[in-house]
Amino acid sequence: MGISPGIRNGPFEVCTPLQPAVSTAKKRGEHRFPGKLFVVEGIDGSGKSTQLSLLHKWLESRGYGVVFSEWNSSPLVKDTTKLGKKKKLLTPATFSLIHSTDFADRTERSILPLLKAGAVVLCDRYMYTAFARDVARGMDREWVRDLYGFAIEPTVAFYFRVPLETAIGRLLDARDGFKFYEAGMDLGLSDDAEESFRLFQGRIINEYEKMIPEFGLTVIDATLPIEIQQSRVREIVKSHVATGTGWRPEP
Amino acid sequence: MRETYGKLLPEMKLADLTGKLIVIEGTDGAGRSTQIDLLKSWLEELGHAVLDTGMTRSTLAGNGIRRAKEGNNLGRVTQSLFYATDFVDRLENEIVPALRAGFIVLTDRYVYSLMARAMVRGMDPQWIRSIFRVALKPDAVFYLRLGIEQLVRRVVFSRGFDYWESGMDLFPGHDMYDSFCNYQAALLREFDRLSEEFKFETVDASADAETVFWQLKGEILRLLEGDSRKTFLSMLARGAAGHPLQKAEEEAIAAAARRQSVTGDLEFVSQAFAAQAPHGNGQAAIRQK
Repeated sequence: MGISPGIRNGPFEVCTPLQPAVSTAKKRGEHRFPGKLFVVEGIDGSGKSTQLSLLHKWLESRGYGVVFSEWNSSPLVKDTTKLGKKKKLLTPATFSLIHSTDFADRTERSILPLLKAGAVVLCDRYMYTAFARDVARGMDREWVRDLYGFAIEPTVAFYFRVPLETAIGRLLDARDGFKFYEAGMDLGLSDDAEESFRLFQGRIINEYEKMIPEFGLTVIDATLPIEIQQSRVREIVKSHVATGTGWRPEP
Repeated sequence: MRETYGKLLPEMKLADLTGKLIVIEGTDGAGRSTQIDLLKSWLEELGHAVLDTGMTRSTLAGNGIRRAKEGNNLGRVTQSLFYATDFVDRLENEIVPALRAGFIVLTDRYVYSLMARAMVRGMDPQWIRSIFRVALKPDAVFYLRLGIEQLVRRVVFSRGFDYWESGMDLFPGHDMYDSFCNYQAALLREFDRLSEEFKFETVDASADAETVFWQLKGEILRLLEGDSRKTFLSMLARGAAGHPLQKAEEEAIAAAARRQSVTGDLEFVSQAFAAQAPHGNGQAAIRQK
């Protein structure tokens, strides 16, 4: 069952049940699976999902086996998250834990096995989203990082950097109103949803900025035209899938 | 002052958590829920307000966990975190408010069971401990300990095999009986290790329910008494130092003096008086003796 003992990925390094290995490596190293993992990060309205779907199209057209995984989408966990959000049961701590549960299910059930199978895995939001949001909600920075100790280090993590006002403008054009937790309304920063969103997302941007050097995030200027951003993303991705043994379907 | 295992959740204030947090731990079949039922009604008879809680009883995650377990496809990391979500939801919304209101909280299993299960499933011991650093340190942990042979006999002949209790997610190729024995033995080893690390008070659960109950009552009485004794001593000390005491406090001291239940304490305070100018309300209480 599992992974060769040499691979270090948090708890996953352990492969034999009943003989827990003690992790000596506190810091995550890049995974050694044949697949590649690319993730996009950024605040709402940064355009990261658009960029990821363009990347997805391109990789598929080049014949790679590509799988997409979205934040907060585990079939096993999402009902609980939905219940918590709808009934406003979530505190900063349970908000953090239920999202990590969701992420764990997707890691165990799809991301990890797919990387072992050699797929290119694309994630819209990854653990850095939790690091930014949960700390912005007042959770302990170290505790949240420990919580995601099981996460697999991505091949490249793109951060789409955008000024807050640009993001808000895009969101207001596209829809009306902000959701309760998305605007950080649970924190009581402001009764006005837009104002609360502004304050909360401002905190999130601060956390992202600190993570750029901490995790070596690859910054993309998200105010540039979509095509230019995409060509930069593709260039970087190309340099990794070309050297890898990325799985391609038979022609 | 109450403490956590190292990390404090946002908005959680530890200063006024005056209740008692009592944990009943142990493997399956150790009789935990029987003892909790007995203890609850006994404590209520004594006049204590009691909250009992246990795994998967949270409003947030209880149903989600049960549904996830039905499918038998709950991964190991996911399982550990789902249970942690359930625990923290109860910690914030049940345990802490009850302790603040002065309740005795009896909890059927605590973070130790969750650690043991995770470690048996191969999780990094450091990782699982780091998550539960937000948990409150309990006032007492009673570990109802059963040897493996008795454990097997009790569980198998009372309710039969359950997929998760048998660790079938760990030993999918085995039959239920072999898997159950392996799994429960591994859990027992983890519990014994945790018992040393977290200083459990071990209670031999192979005795009949009444004997175990009798033992637990003794321990809990000592715990509660220790606490009222501390309050009492601080009252005496304040009186001795000449601070005005409230009427109820003076009455309590007088009553205790009449019962002669605190002779040693009174001697101690009298000596303190001798060293000081004899004044203050505490003196009056002592004279009543």
